Amino acid sequence: MIIFARIFKNIKFSIMGCIAYKAEIQDTFTSVRDFSYNEKRSPFMDQERMNAFLDVILEFKDSLGEKTNKIFSINDNIDKITWYNDLDDECLKLINDLISAIKDLRSTLIRQYVSMSFLRQKGIAKEEIKKFKIAVDELKEVYEDLESVFFFLPEMPDFNETTKLLSLV
Amino acid sequence: MEIFCLEDFKDEFDKLKVKKAYRTLEKDIIYYFFNKPIQDLNSGTRLNNSDETPYIKKRLRGSGGYRVYFLILIKKENIYLMFIHPKTGPDGAENITDESKSALYKKVLASIKTNDLYKVTLNKTQDSILFEKL
Repeated sequence: MIIFARIFKNIKFSIMGCIAYKAEIQDTFTSVRDFSYNEKRSPFMDQERMNAFLDVILEFKDSLGEKTNKIFSINDNIDKITWYNDLDDECLKLINDLISAIKDLRSTLIRQYVSMSFLRQKGIAKEEIKKFKIAVDELKEVYEDLESVFFFLPEMPDFNETTKLLSLV
Repeated sequence: MEIFCLEDFKDEFDKLKVKKAYRTLEKDIIYYFFNKPIQDLNSGTRLNNSDETPYIKKRLRGSGGYRVYFLILIKKENIYLMFIHPKTGPDGAENITDESKSALYKKVLASIKTNDLYKVTLNKTQDSILFEKL
């Protein structure tokens, strides 16, 4: 009799446990089903959101491309200055100011490049950022050359002497 | 228009052109220097403030490409390729110093005076550079 009572008690507990589990499974099932339904109705990025996101990237690429072209154009203009003749002191002072302004500009552009590192890591606008860096590097090179041409090389006696001798060849 | 070069240029060119990273070099040099009027080469950075004998540094293929240093003798319509170096790749280097620019400049003058130069031409199919010691 005692044995039957124990078995009955175990069965009773087992049935109660199953009921509790069933409820939990039911709850989980319900939440998955609702989640799935909602996700189907409202995906992570609907077309409208995706388009807006892509528009922002395209806008960034265009604006960076424009900026890069502007830097290349400045670089070409700086090159042209080295072909001007007979510059007086006033012109040299202006060139000196120009060199300072370019250095300042470059620092700003380098800071902008550094701030784009997260985009580069994600592979966003990779080519545009690379071209931008190339233009900024070139900017450094052209102001260093400008400084050489107008302030350092003319101070080298050998250099000036060679120019004189070449004019006689 | 005739094109000559210093030994320094030839040595660098020969060294670089066999490397995969610089496979465009020969084509770039041909495209920039050959088959065009001499006036078209008056661009880049003029280093010596001279109209008659401009000493030029030219960036080929932009910032990551090559730097070519050359001299033009306008009167004679001669071009003297002095030095070339890539900015990137295994032989990539920073820009040469002002002292090196000055030394190269002296060297080209001495080489012109002593005819210690190579004549630079193209092969029949115009796709390969030939060097002939003077």
